[in-house]
Parts: sequence; C-alpha cells; structure tokens
Amino acid sequence: MRGMRLVRFILTRLLQAVPVVLGVVVLNFLLLQLAPGDAATVLAGEAGGATPEYVEQLRARFGLDKPVIVQLGLYLKNILLLDLGFSFRNNAPVLGLILDRLWPTLLLMGATLVVSVGGGVVLGVIAALGVRTWRDHLISIVAVIAYATPLFWIGLMLILVFSIRLDWFPTSGMENVVAFHEGWARVFDIARHLVLPTITLSLFYLALYTRLMRATVLEQRGAEYATTARAKGLTERAITLRHVLRNALLPVITMAGVQVGALLGGSVVVETVFAWPGLGQLAYQSLFARDFNLLLGIFFLSACLVVIVNILVDVIYVLLDPRIRVGGQS
Amino acid sequence: MRLFKSLALIAGLGLTAVTVAVGPALAQKRGGTLVQITQPEPPSLGSYISTANPVGQVASKIYDGLLEYDFDLKPLPGLAQSWTVSQDGKTVTFRLRSGVKFHDGKPFTSSDVQFTFMEVLKKVHPRGINTFAELTAVETPDAQTAIFQLNRPAPYMMAALSGYESPILPKHVFSQGDIRTHQNANSPIGTGPFKFAEWRRGEFVRLDRNADYWKPGLPYLDRIVVRFIGDTGTRAAALEKGEAHIAGFGAVPYNDVKKLEKLPNIQIVTRGYEMLSPVVELMFNTKKAPFDNAKVRQAVSFAIDRKFVIDNIWFGFGKPTNGPISSNFAAAGLYSADVMNYNVPDGVERANKLLDEAGFPRKADGVRFEITHDITPYGEEWRRFGEYTQQALARIGIKANLRYEDVATWLKRIYTDYDFDLSSNHLFNLADPVLGVHRAFHSRFIRPGTVFVNGVRWSSPLTDELMDRATIEPDAKKRAELYAEVQRIVVAEAPLAWTHEISFATVLDKRYRDVIVSPLGLFSSFDRAWRE
Repeated sequence: MRGMRLVRFILTRLLQAVPVVLGVVVLNFLLLQLAPGDAATVLAGEAGGATPEYVEQLRARFGLDKPVIVQLGLYLKNILLLDLGFSFRNNAPVLGLILDRLWPTLLLMGATLVVSVGGGVVLGVIAALGVRTWRDHLISIVAVIAYATPLFWIGLMLILVFSIRLDWFPTSGMENVVAFHEGWARVFDIARHLVLPTITLSLFYLALYTRLMRATVLEQRGAEYATTARAKGLTERAITLRHVLRNALLPVITMAGVQVGALLGGSVVVETVFAWPGLGQLAYQSLFARDFNLLLGIFFLSACLVVIVNILVDVIYVLLDPRIRVGGQS
Repeated sequence: MRLFKSLALIAGLGLTAVTVAVGPALAQKRGGTLVQITQPEPPSLGSYISTANPVGQVASKIYDGLLEYDFDLKPLPGLAQSWTVSQDGKTVTFRLRSGVKFHDGKPFTSSDVQFTFMEVLKKVHPRGINTFAELTAVETPDAQTAIFQLNRPAPYMMAALSGYESPILPKHVFSQGDIRTHQNANSPIGTGPFKFAEWRRGEFVRLDRNADYWKPGLPYLDRIVVRFIGDTGTRAAALEKGEAHIAGFGAVPYNDVKKLEKLPNIQIVTRGYEMLSPVVELMFNTKKAPFDNAKVRQAVSFAIDRKFVIDNIWFGFGKPTNGPISSNFAAAGLYSADVMNYNVPDGVERANKLLDEAGFPRKADGVRFEITHDITPYGEEWRRFGEYTQQALARIGIKANLRYEDVATWLKRIYTDYDFDLSSNHLFNLADPVLGVHRAFHSRFIRPGTVFVNGVRWSSPLTDELMDRATIEPDAKKRAELYAEVQRIVVAEAPLAWTHEISFATVLDKRYRDVIVSPLGLFSSFDRAWRE
C-alpha cells in the first residue's frame, strides 16, 4: 500500500516537473538575450584578423540573423525532441560535450557530499555530546573559520603545502597525463587527484553541517521523547545515537538537497583552481564565449537534476520518518 | 603492454643510432612526453577555420605547411621542397615532397594542396579570405607539382604558408560534407610529426608520435599532452613542480614568470614570437570630439611614459615604439625608425602645449575635458595599463573614467557600435604588414561588426594608396620605401598611439631542448624537441 503510494507520488512529481523545467528553459533563453555581444563576435575576436565576410558567414551559420522569437521557437521544439543542439564554438553536439563532463562532476560532487555530510554529522554530534567542553569549542571555532575562508584561497594553500612542499598530491587535473595509468592503478591515481579538490569543496559545507547538526542534536535532546528515554534509564550516549540522531538528520538532508544544486554550478572556482574537468568550468567558459546553445543545455540538465534530487530528498524523508506521508493523503 | 614498450625501445634505439650516424654530434634522445599548458582550452582543433590562439598551439603539431621559416622570417622547405616565383610575380610553382603520408596512411599529393587553398583557406579561413584574395587557381600538372596562379602579385603570401597559418588538409577527408561543421575539425588528420590521439574536454589533448613522419628520425618525443588549467596560480604551481613543461603567450602572468625564473629547473624564453609581433596601441575614436583632433591624439601619445609602462606593468618584457610596424621587420627592411618620436623626456610639457593649442585650456579645477577609457579585458596587465593611462592623462589635464567589461561586450562596443572615446589593444603584425598592419588604418577595414580591424575609423586616400601599392610591389627596396612613408604619416597623424612591442615569455622546463626553434614558437611543430 505504502509502496504503491510512493510510486504514484514519484510519477506525479515527475509530471509536474515538466512545465517547471520548460519554464526554466524559456526564462534562461530570454535572460541570455540580454547579454551584449554574440558568439560570432567572440569567435571572430579570437581569430584576430577576421574579415567581414567571415563574421557574416558565422552569423548566418549560427542562425543569429533570425528574430529572437523564431530562435526561441526552434529551440523549444528541439528541447521537446530531447535535441540539445550543436555548439558551433566547440564544433560538437551539446549533449556529447555535457556528458563528457558529467562523470567528473558527479565524482567530485559525490565525494564532496560524502565527506561534508558524513564529517559534518560526526563532528556535530561530538560537539553536541560534549557541549561547552574544549571539544565543542575547538570544533565550533574551526567550523567558523572554514565557513568564512574563500574557497580559491584554501585551494591554492592546499596546493602550496600538500603538493609543492610535501609532494603528497598532484597540483591539478584528474589523472596523470604522462603515465596514463590503467586498471586499478588508474583508480588510485584518480583518487589521489580527487583528494585536494574534495577537501576544498567540502570544507564550507562541512562547517555548515557541523553547526546545523550540533544545534539540532541539542534541540532534540531537550524534546519530550528524550526525557522519557532518560527516565527509562538509558545513557546519554544511547539516547543520542539511537533516538536523537535520526530526528536530527532531517534538516541536514534538506540542506544536502539544496547543496546538490549549488554544487553543480558552485564548484566553478574549485574546478578552475584544480583544473577539474567539470560542468561548472564548461558553463563559465560558454557564458564568456556567448555559446548559448551549450549554456542552455547545461542549464536544462541542471534543472532536471535539481528536480530529481528534490524528489529523492522527499523520498528519504519518508524512509527516515514514518510519520511523514507522501502525496498529501493521510 | 610491456611487450609493446620493449618493441618501442628497440625501435627507439635503432632510430637513435641512425640519427647519431647521420645528424650532427648532438645528444638528442628519443622518447619522453612533453606537457604543454595552453590557456584557455581551444574551442576546436580546426586551424583551417579558426585562428584562435589556443587552436594554433595544438593544431600546429598535427598539420604541416608548404613552408617553414627561420628566425629572420625567411622561408625554408616544408611540404614543398622547392619553389619558384615567375618574373611578373603572378605564378608561383611549388615542387612537393614525395612519399609523404597523412596520418590515415593515404598519400599527400598536389590535389590536397589545391583543395586546401581553393576550397578551404580562401573560403573559410578568417585571414585566408584576405591573404589568398588574389589567388585564382591552383594547377596540378602532376602529383608533385602545384602551380599558384595570382591575379596580381602577392609577395606577402609567401610569408603565410606555415602549418599554423595555412595547414595542409587531406582532400579525401575534408571534401566530404560541410567544411564549416566538419567532424574532423576535432579529430584532425594531417601530415605533421604528431598524430591526434584523444581529447578529453576540460582536461587535455593527447598527441602521439607519428612514426611515419617524412623527416627521417623525427620527431624525438613520444607524445605531447596539452593540458588546460584555468587558474593562473595552479599553472605556475604545475610548472614549478615539473608536472607541466612549457607554457607561453601570457598563460603565466609576468609576475609569476619573474618568480619561476629563479627556480633551477626552469628557463624563460622570449624568442619564438617573431612571426606574430604584437604591438600595443591606444585607440582613439577619431570620429568624435575631442579625439577627432590630431593634436589631442598626439598629446596623449606624448603623455605615455613607455619605459615606465614596460618596466612596471610588463615587468620589462617589452620594447618602446612609436609606429605600427614591429622592429622584428627590421631585417626585412620594412620597419622604419624615421618617424615622429613621442618617447621623449619632456613629453608631459609638450602634451600640455599641444592641448592648449588645440583649444582645450585647463579649467579652474585643472581639468581640460573628461573622457571614458575602456580597459582591454585581457587580464591583469591590461587593467594596470588602463589605470596607468588614467594617471598619465590626469597629468595633462584629461580626466579619464575607467570602464571594464567582458570581452564580448567590449568587442561589440569598440568594433561594432564605435561607442567609445579611448581604449587600448594589441594587434599582431603577423608575417607581413599586409596581413597584420593594414587592417588597423586602411579604409577598406572600416567594417562595423568585424573585430580587430580599423575601429578608430581613420584613413586617408594617400596612406590607402601607399599600402595598396606596397601590397603588390615585388621589389623589396621599393616596398620598404612605401612602408617608410606610410609609417611617417600615420605616426604623425596618430589615429592610434603605438606605445610598445610586447615580448611574450615562454616558461620552459630545462630538461627539454630544441623546443623553440622557429619564429612561430608555440605555433610550430616541435618535431625537433627532445628530452634530456
């Protein structure tokens, strides 16, 4: 019964997502029209001494000579057919370009989520268990510092210390391009390259989750069910781990859902500093190149991902807290 | 894998033996990977349709040209082993090398040359449309002969036949389908020393050694990997650590160059940009007051302390100048120093005097008039150069408000809308003034929407005519006289204020030798580069 309802819930939400995503596409398309200059100008600019004939050729080829409303209509039609178009600047289909970058993005995103949520939960609980002891103070101070330090600076400092001085990790990239390892050696090599960017990207969220977790654990421990458990004679440790933790996780899961959206776009800085081949850099470059087909494609994919993650978060809620019902029915 | 390596080693040893026996007694060694940093990542590898800097840095290893060039810009044999120019300059006959194969194994013949020039470069290459405008036909009497028929003589064409500027394409590949969106743009097939192997977007392009390269024993390197690192600090770190071995064209900012120079494993090379020759200029909107007045423009040029700019903004990597043609053309006789000199100690006084004469007296607050200066959006140096210009102009009573926009917006403002007072830029002289210099002030190049041309909208019938004559003048001495006259006039009229030639700095790992061996530097094939 509950399983059936869950499936129906997911299907409804997916159906509702279609107009949302289309709305996002139209809005993005119109917003991008406001940017001055076009792809032909930028391409010709990079070319140096481009002739007028060449620039006209480019405009006609990109369809930039057509009215905006016609361009929008064409784009919507293609999106509905799941055709993301062609990036003239990269001379390649948009879908392929995005898929190439997707797995490094997901890898970095996944590693960051695990480290920041896992680390944040553990540190938050430790701080809450020893509230107002030196452990609590130390964790809180470090969290504030991590929260306030700019990402690119942390990244560069990590490179300076762990890569150049100590020589533990490579400076940048996703794998060693001189050795080109294969098999398990390659997995290990990629993991080594993953360490510094993951730490850099995680610190901010780690701090956020630590503080959030500490606060909710403290709050939940004052709740009536905790008092009841205490009256039963359970130790503080057992109460926290068995009863409080589950309830305290909910806000963290909500934040993590929001973080996924931010990670897709917000890792531009870290991707740039560590030359990580992710979507953020691609979006950044295509914005400056006015490569709107590619940019719209990335926006489209990000919108889809955010919608899916939101549904996923709702489902996790239900699993964590049986009192929450899906689909608004009781 | 191990077997393959042993075989490669044996093959390598064999080749080394051959080179030692034949070549000079140098200790070149086979093997090794060169990691090059190119910034930003190229949008494609189609150097026949895009002359964007990063495209050239990668594609020049894959495609050969008909000719190569020495540091004096003199042509050397490339895919053409010899050539003759007819008396009237209108027929050029190339004798092509035989036995050359493309990377897919198909032979290179004169029909590839014909296809490349007539169907590709003349039609879609951003500069080729102009360079080969006079080319009417490429005749192919046999597989090893290509005869270029010209409408009028085009001496500058002989300087534009490198693998970077005019890459030779395989007809059997690129004649299939639309050349503008050809799929092989991103998986190029040429005759060059390195074959395209893989492009992982956002990460690297991998080029592997072409074992069938037509130069015996070359290339020495097994592989070139071109990496893309978006952050300047990380690029410097990768070079410092030896993870990357070469980077040029401002990929490493000058202040980092100075730091890296002190490391024992790194050297700084300034050669290898002779065929590009960038010259920095201040651009005036000559159609609008106050810069429609030549005296005002001259005053601005006098106000710029070139030595200060070079020492403090470009960290010493530059050379003061007054005119549009780079001193790299001194050997060819095309550079003239006999022009009005703005680089004088009493520049500020002379500028003030000129502005008084022009009818712009200082008002009560010491300001003569107010303008907007558009900073070139190319990074740190340019921003500082903009800030310096603001200060320099303040000294002569011009109040400049700075404006900073992104590249696309700035290009549109300067070259399409002409909605500016003052800005700065640097144009490459390229291999010949016809290709790189005329565009800045010839009336034919006042074309709204086309970037890096005559954005100042200044021209004169006399200079137009002199340049048109120089374009087709086959006699080197007469040509030099024509250009001397052009330089004398435009420097005095000052539609642009040319301030200095930039020297780019290439950061190179000392273990790698013979990397920069041509005036095209990073745009050359690296066929002779080797690792200690």
